[in-house]
Amino acid sequence: MLHNRRILVVEDEYHIAEEVAEALAEEGAEVLGPVATVPAALAMAEGEERIDAALLDVNLGGGMIWPVVDLLVGRNVPVVLTTGYDAGSLPERYAHLPRCEKPVALREITRALQRALPS
Amino acid sequence: MSHPETMMKRQRVLGDFGEAALRSQDLNEVLDEACRLVGEALGTGRAKILEILETERQLLVRAGVGWETGIVGRLRLPMEEHSSETFAIDEGRPVISQDVAREDRFDVPAFMKEAGVVSFVNVPIFLPGGRPFGLLQVDATEPRDFGEDDIRFLRTYTAILGPVIDRLLIARTLRSTEERFRLTVEQALDYGIFLTDPEDRITDWLPGARAVYGWAAEEVIGQPSAIIFTPEDRQENRDAWETETASREGVAPNVRWHLRKGGERVFIEGSTRALRDPDGTLLGFLKIGQDMTERLMAERRLEEEKERFRVLVEGMPQLVWRSDGEGQWTWGSPQWLAYTGQRQEETHGRGWLRAVHPDDRAAAVDAWHEARACGALDVEFRLRRAADGSYRWHRTRAVPLRDEASVPRPESRILEWLGTSTDIDDLKRLQGQQSILVAELQHRTRNLLGVVRSIARRSFDPSPGREEYEARLSALGRVQGFLSRSPTWEVALADLLDAELMAAGDGTSERIVVSGPPLQLPGDKVQPLALALHELATNAVKHGAIGQPDGRLKVIWRLEDGRGPPLLLLDWEESGVAMPAPSVERRGYGRELIERALPYQLQARTRLEFMPDGVRCRIALPLRDPEDEEPATWPRGGEHAP
Repeated sequence: MLHNRRILVVEDEYHIAEEVAEALAEEGAEVLGPVATVPAALAMAEGEERIDAALLDVNLGGGMIWPVVDLLVGRNVPVVLTTGYDAGSLPERYAHLPRCEKPVALREITRALQRALPS
Repeated sequence: MSHPETMMKRQRVLGDFGEAALRSQDLNEVLDEACRLVGEALGTGRAKILEILETERQLLVRAGVGWETGIVGRLRLPMEEHSSETFAIDEGRPVISQDVAREDRFDVPAFMKEAGVVSFVNVPIFLPGGRPFGLLQVDATEPRDFGEDDIRFLRTYTAILGPVIDRLLIARTLRSTEERFRLTVEQALDYGIFLTDPEDRITDWLPGARAVYGWAAEEVIGQPSAIIFTPEDRQENRDAWETETASREGVAPNVRWHLRKGGERVFIEGSTRALRDPDGTLLGFLKIGQDMTERLMAERRLEEEKERFRVLVEGMPQLVWRSDGEGQWTWGSPQWLAYTGQRQEETHGRGWLRAVHPDDRAAAVDAWHEARACGALDVEFRLRRAADGSYRWHRTRAVPLRDEASVPRPESRILEWLGTSTDIDDLKRLQGQQSILVAELQHRTRNLLGVVRSIARRSFDPSPGREEYEARLSALGRVQGFLSRSPTWEVALADLLDAELMAAGDGTSERIVVSGPPLQLPGDKVQPLALALHELATNAVKHGAIGQPDGRLKVIWRLEDGRGPPLLLLDWEESGVAMPAPSVERRGYGRELIERALPYQLQARTRLEFMPDGVRCRIALPLRDPEDEEPATWPRGGEHAP
């Protein structure tokens, strides 16, 4: 389903990043990253020519992902957030974005990405 | 032409009247005598004096002789244009009516006709200065031509009568004035009034003095007025200073504590006035003083009360203010002024709003509209701190001050509002930090679950056990999610079931029925129950109703609210399932959770059965701990050992 899709993964926790990247690769996706910091994520979000979707951890070691979200949304890239926060803790303007609550089941992530991608 | 005898008689009458007028001080008596003598002199035996009552435009029969009772002192005649009486007064000269029967110039009063009066003469009486007092009227019961002599006599007579009446009227006025004055002074019991001689010895002691100072007149007459001065004042010769000042300047203030008979003190506000006769000789002193003790004490208490209030208001950290019902301030406390930098009059009316953050002003005004309806004001807004220009959150509350309800107004009225504004900025900041911390904690907890799961993936080769483990960690994560979202630390049972069934399959299908009343599970029951439901759902996917195309699942619960704590009764019923052969699965972790963990941790009663067409599970879960009903019994170690 995610075959040949270029998916940006931003996750600051190594184990989770690896696990997610592996699972996406198994689904046939081409993983961009994963990267763990806001600057690295910004660089990829800006520099990559083609991004089909992005899976973004909200809290990156204390730094918030919002600048990256803004940039990607500006590029019309579908975004799925992963977070330990509940919706009430998120800024209002991002509360509508698709969201997987941690700890996320891998199946849930792939489902959320498939829904987010234009078919 | 008059008879010498008549002349003599009339001379004698004049003399008699002169004597009578000198003897008597009573106006009525003198006027009656005047009528008697004139009736005698003119031989009519009948006469009367009418007094003008200016304001009423009436004539009162003031005195008379030869009249029936009910006339003299009572009868009033209107001063009409067509009466002989009015005519005589207006003309200022005697008017004669020789025969009433043939009279066509005037109307004659009925009572005179009834009394048989046939002729009469009216002579006006003037007081010195020309003001008319009234009339002397001499009546006869036969036609009579009052001659020149009669008229001359009557004129002389009224000329004497005028000044006599005038003197008696003045005396009467003086007497009543004096009487009024005496009554007034004696009734003034709040005023200590007394007189002293030039040596300041008491000569007159009025009732008010007795009331104020306690002494009776006989106890103090002849005493120096120093007896009502305090020892301290006497020491300083205040008594002498007062009379000396009064002698020199006419009056001296007397505002100080005085002594009463029993030694109690009264505060007097008054003066000492020197009394002198017309040639300047000092006659003594008039001392008038009002007892102000009660008022002074009341004022002092009020001052103390005000001072206490001021200290309280100015000492508290809150900003205090007073307002009318529309949020129109009348006063802001010194703290408000110091905090906002406003001047007192700048706070008045809606002026205080200028210290409120512009974004919060509408809310502040709205709060006042609501306050009128609900009888209390409670609103949060930011106030500008003058010291550094920062805006800090304040909670502002006010309650109305009401007057007493009364019969005509059963609803008490709001007099004003008394309010405080409390700085809650630090509190708000701490609350903000706290919610950030809570969010951070959630984030870390759930990240940690993810990390633990992923480490397990790295540590163990793929196996059914590893997948089950991962799924269980996910269930734990979902529980954490629910709990962190709930402000009341409660989770709806239906949400919990939906989440587990969702995670197990791709969602609900028509083969699954979930039904029961809305029910909030207490936070401490959520995790064990969620794990048990997770095991049931996972099993149903692998071996049961969810996984098999013909399988059906019903999850039904109800609340049993009888004796003891309320009980949740939950039934998990699978049907249409082709049951696998008994295996180790049946003694697995799920079974352990249901049959042992739930009774152990939640005091639940559970039953798990493997029926030929599917799994049945019943969970009876007390929703409150038995400890809530009765005192907890904890193991107490060795202290009860025998």
